[in-house]
Amino acid sequence: MPSPPPDWVKALKPAGPQGSELLAQERAQSNVNVEKLSEYLHTKAALERQDKLVALLQPEKVFDKSQNHSLGRVERLQRSLAKAKRLQQIAEQQKWNMEELHTANELIGEPTPYGLHASMFLVTLREQGTPEQHKLFLERAQKYQIIGCYAQTELGHGSNVRGLETTATWNSDDKTFTINSPTLTASKWWIGSLGRTANHAVVMAQLFIDGKSFGPHPFVVQVRDLETHQPLENVYVGDIGPKFGYNTMDNGFLLFNKVKIPHVNMLARFSRIDKDTNKYLRPALPTLVYGTLTWVRSNIVLQAGGVLARGVTIATRYAAVRRQFQDRDAEPHAGENQVLNYKMVQVRLLPLLASMYALHFTGRGMMALYEQNQSRMKAASSPGQDSRGAGPEELRAGADLLADLHATSCGLKALASTTAGEGLEVCRRACGGHGYSSYSGIGPYYSDYLPTLTWEGDNYMLTQQVARYLLKSARAVLSGKSADNDTSRILRNYLNRRDKGASFDVLEEDADIVAAFAWRTAHLTFEALKHRDAEKRSWNSLLVDFWRLSTAHSQYLVVKNFYEAVSSPQLASALDQETKSLMHSLFRLYALHTLEREAAEFFSSGAVTVRQITLTRTTAVMKLLDEIRPHAVRLVDAWAIPDWQLDSSLGRSDGQVYEDLFRRASQENPVNDLVFDPYPWNKALLKNEPAKSKL
Amino acid sequence: MPDFTDKLRPSQPDGPTTLARERAQSSISIDELGNHLLSSDGFLQRQARILSILQREPLLSKDKQQNLSRPERFKLGLARAKLLRRLVDRYQWSYDDYKMAEYLVSDVSPYFLHLEMFITTVREQASEAQRAHWMPLIESWRIIGAYAQTELGHGSNVRGLELEARWDPQTQEFILHSPTLTASKWWNGSLGRIANHAIVVAQLLLPKPGSSDQYVSHGPHPFIVQVRDMKTHQPLEGVVVGDIGPKYGYITMDNAYMLFNKFRIPHSAMLSRYSNVDPETGIYTKPAQPAVVYGSLTYVRAQIVHHARLVLARAVTVAVRYTAVRRQFKDRDSDGSGPEMSVLDYPTVQIRILPLLATTFALHYTGLAMRTVYENARQDVERGEFHSLAHMHSMSSGLKSLCTMLAADGIETCRRALGGHGFGGGSGLIELNNDYLSKPTVEGDNWMITQQVASYLIKKMTTAVQAPHTAGSDELDSRFKEFIRNGVSNSRTAYRVLEKDEDIAKGFELRATALAYDAYQQRVLKKRSWNSLLIQLHKLSKAQSKSILVREFFTALSTDNTLSSSIKTIMWHIYRLFALHTMENEGYEFFRCGAVSQSDIDILPGRIQDLMAKIRPHAVKLVDSWMIPDYLLDSALGRYDGRVYEDLYNRAHRLNPLNEITFNPNYWEHEIVKGSGDDGSGILSKL
Repeated sequence: MPSPPPDWVKALKPAGPQGSELLAQERAQSNVNVEKLSEYLHTKAALERQDKLVALLQPEKVFDKSQNHSLGRVERLQRSLAKAKRLQQIAEQQKWNMEELHTANELIGEPTPYGLHASMFLVTLREQGTPEQHKLFLERAQKYQIIGCYAQTELGHGSNVRGLETTATWNSDDKTFTINSPTLTASKWWIGSLGRTANHAVVMAQLFIDGKSFGPHPFVVQVRDLETHQPLENVYVGDIGPKFGYNTMDNGFLLFNKVKIPHVNMLARFSRIDKDTNKYLRPALPTLVYGTLTWVRSNIVLQAGGVLARGVTIATRYAAVRRQFQDRDAEPHAGENQVLNYKMVQVRLLPLLASMYALHFTGRGMMALYEQNQSRMKAASSPGQDSRGAGPEELRAGADLLADLHATSCGLKALASTTAGEGLEVCRRACGGHGYSSYSGIGPYYSDYLPTLTWEGDNYMLTQQVARYLLKSARAVLSGKSADNDTSRILRNYLNRRDKGASFDVLEEDADIVAAFAWRTAHLTFEALKHRDAEKRSWNSLLVDFWRLSTAHSQYLVVKNFYEAVSSPQLASALDQETKSLMHSLFRLYALHTLEREAAEFFSSGAVTVRQITLTRTTAVMKLLDEIRPHAVRLVDAWAIPDWQLDSSLGRSDGQVYEDLFRRASQENPVNDLVFDPYPWNKALLKNEPAKSKL
Repeated sequence: MPDFTDKLRPSQPDGPTTLARERAQSSISIDELGNHLLSSDGFLQRQARILSILQREPLLSKDKQQNLSRPERFKLGLARAKLLRRLVDRYQWSYDDYKMAEYLVSDVSPYFLHLEMFITTVREQASEAQRAHWMPLIESWRIIGAYAQTELGHGSNVRGLELEARWDPQTQEFILHSPTLTASKWWNGSLGRIANHAIVVAQLLLPKPGSSDQYVSHGPHPFIVQVRDMKTHQPLEGVVVGDIGPKYGYITMDNAYMLFNKFRIPHSAMLSRYSNVDPETGIYTKPAQPAVVYGSLTYVRAQIVHHARLVLARAVTVAVRYTAVRRQFKDRDSDGSGPEMSVLDYPTVQIRILPLLATTFALHYTGLAMRTVYENARQDVERGEFHSLAHMHSMSSGLKSLCTMLAADGIETCRRALGGHGFGGGSGLIELNNDYLSKPTVEGDNWMITQQVASYLIKKMTTAVQAPHTAGSDELDSRFKEFIRNGVSNSRTAYRVLEKDEDIAKGFELRATALAYDAYQQRVLKKRSWNSLLIQLHKLSKAQSKSILVREFFTALSTDNTLSSSIKTIMWHIYRLFALHTMENEGYEFFRCGAVSQSDIDILPGRIQDLMAKIRPHAVKLVDSWMIPDYLLDSALGRYDGRVYEDLYNRAHRLNPLNEITFNPNYWEHEIVKGSGDDGSGILSKL
């Protein structure tokens, strides 16, 4: 690393007022009890766990983050594997539970090559394997004696699982399966942990018996030798190359040239082949698979709040420290104004601050709903649902509860991850020039988060499932056979009041805000139904309407969940009056800012008048920004993200923004080790190295 | 090494088949449209000539560059930049040829600031004597320079810079000094490791007349300063300079930090064409015409606006070609036979990509118009007339903000529309995205500079209100006065935007005028604070700039008499799609000022879908017409020949250095690379 700067540089301080003073001032002007609010958001146990793990992990050299953004792909992956190994060693020594391991992974701040082994491989073996298969695969996998991944998507096939091309053909003569890749587009692709790390994979392949296809099924396939770690014969596997982010993960490709595997390698808890009769036995409980996906999506919603919180924490603290221009209306010599005082900065950051709370409470609400439905769902689901495309809106009987939660989770996953992903970029840009530096901590994190917008269901594809569910519910309401749930309730309410009109007082009554969002969803639902059923428009031509409908419905759910959370007795008893009313302000800001952005849909559905929208825009939102502004720093402090996790010069909790940027640039930047020869006609690139070059 | 995968082919219909079908179904002549767009200044001919030279140079192959570490990637960038400069000599390239080569290689050159801001500043702000001394050194590359203005704590607000240049009357020198850490120069391109000279902008401090220890600041001024030794390339004593570290993009640029410790520079270092300090008396002479200074900034902004179309066209080319090739799910209203649907047939994909395709053309015509306005203003200035500067400055600020935002957001929208593969290095949009995302911030932050537009429009409105019945002094003035004469309420007859193409443009102008009038009312009449209006002012600037995009598009199509009728018809659809899609997104504002009726707004979504259906069959040929070479695209997904999957596989399999390493995956063994016997200390020692 570069030599330390001369003494005269070490002696320099940033121009006053110092970042630390500005943040102290910010914290002094608000009475929000940060500790109480943190505990309410995360629980005391989670905060203590976080503190304990930061203290344990941060001092270890292997977890150092300073070079992350300067390294090449190959070296980054090597280091990431070293981190993953060390983490697993500590986990074993300290007998960590899942939550501890999860928190530790969050803190080290990058996906590691063990990622898919620890999540999807173990989960799939556990949920889809028989007791015999648990003994054979799961037990060894839990001890990391075999390391695996989950190989579903292919080079030519993502969201449409039915379109997968990899085949698994049953050989009745020797009771084996032949796994084969018939085309190049059949290559497994994007498979995390597979590229260089895993020696096993759960492979999703089209099952063929006697020339007949039975759709995609999971098979456990060994892909690398346990001794040499080289690919087995007729297996072709490797890493797919550099990406936008996620470069510490070895996403892999995988091709098979007629590889035979034994009968026991087909995961058989839900469907299997009878060895003796060669008959396929149908899935017993296919909806449970659905359930896992729903759980994963609920988790994404909950996490989205935390993801956004990282960007908002950094941008808010930095906007409090950074000063630019004098206020045009201020006294001369007032000094430059904190950027956070600019309305143009507030209108970008504070609604996101409100969003992170909104998503957090919505995620909480969904997890609760999921837990509630879990037991009822097992009883209510029934066999016979084996066809699933992206579109069909007819649902099979017996799965209503699941459908409700499933539709909810699809739409919210799409909205929440889009809000968080795009919100991070807004935060990065709000940091001005320094937001472009990797040391801002936002850019690299944004790059790592972006795949969430695509995986577990592409955000645009998912919106069809929401629309399908809403149309079905609307038909049921019209035929008088609606279920007793919230969706049916808002649709019925709309039908009953449609003639009278809405007249919601969104500027004064919080409950009316929720009602206006419900009204807009119901209106759009019946409009879409008219297009589909009365005008017989094609499914494809309605996709844009469906996407709008899904967004509207999900925004309604967030507004509703947020409202219920801030009005709940739990919140009232946990927080003081001032903080509680601030939570209400955040709710209003989220809701009214959304309403204003989607103004056209609100007034054309008749939920609000143009006058109300004008007032929302010119008065209500402005007032809320003023109300929340003094508390902004404390509201992000309450999220309790450790500095080590933020890994940001701009977002440091002590406000030493400029000292840290300078320290990293001058002390942790390997480019400054190189002295170049700048002249074009000298082919030598460096002054301090012989002319030989790797290029 | 051959293996069984060599024989595998993608499933059918494959990319080449699909793209051939796409091209067959449209009657557009790519040559005709391509020439219409890009031939007037010889762009296409130049592109072909330079491309053939570049592709012969192994150093310019882009195959593995995304895997390199920052130091290695920077070295590669410098090696390429040196090569390009040598090619200038070898082939006797003109400046435009060189810029074309840079564009095609698509690395941000570490020499960029030497060639742009350094040389321009000396040319424009140095005195005759200074120019005579410095220009030969710069033009022969005997010295290499950079431009150091922004500081760690100071960006857009140039008056707030902290670096001091204090005049010492005894020695007749300036003393450059950084009083604080935030005074460190920061972000200055080409300076971190490459330049040995720099234009340094510092607060000019002169002794207060009659005082020996008090100084008066005369604001920021440019000085030309040597910062590194010409032999060793090490920083001079009293200068600390280095690279600021990894960034979101711009990996081949050495953006710098730089501090001075009482560093003495001669009197001649201060660039003195417009302002001067008398070395004998220490008396300061003021700039003659400060407006000239912002002339060059306007030039840079005009360039950025003009370039935005090609940037966005690159992203849209990849998106259109790949979504045509990529198939997913069968149409649920079909009989279930036949292949999966081309993703580009989904309206949810069209609504993201086709309006952006339309935007490339809108940006094109406005880019041309901006150039003309710039040239005219420049001629005015040379004749000593400065009246058109304010208009041009406002126009370039607003358009820079809007166009870079449209392009930057557009790249990312395209990338996401590619599904999972958009996240991969083979998309070709990752480096583009990373590099281009600096644009919304550089040369005036997009959110900050819209204030300049609003401020100009409020001033114009204030003038118009005073005498609404007099003749307008320019187009804007006439528009404002007409608005006032017609009464400012919204009870006017709405434009028929669904029937008349010009009414669309008028609708956009009316919206901008109405917002300008609102802003005037709030600020001038109601005396609202500037800060409380910022959001509204930002919207005003955007509305004004969008009205320019729509109007220029309209004018270009209605005055053109060269395009064939088949292309013309499609171009009109594209115009409508761009304008109506924008109108729908901001429907409330159009409705509120009475530009569009509510019934028309309700019809817009359906109309937009119809327009997309009309444009869809031509999409591939429309992007083909931008003539972006595969070498520049560097994208498996966007290849002209559609061999998407073969290329993705080739990149993963054959061009990926990670696959040359076998890992040891067992966590209880420290060894990382299989067979290396390393106990893990190898990794740790580098930390």
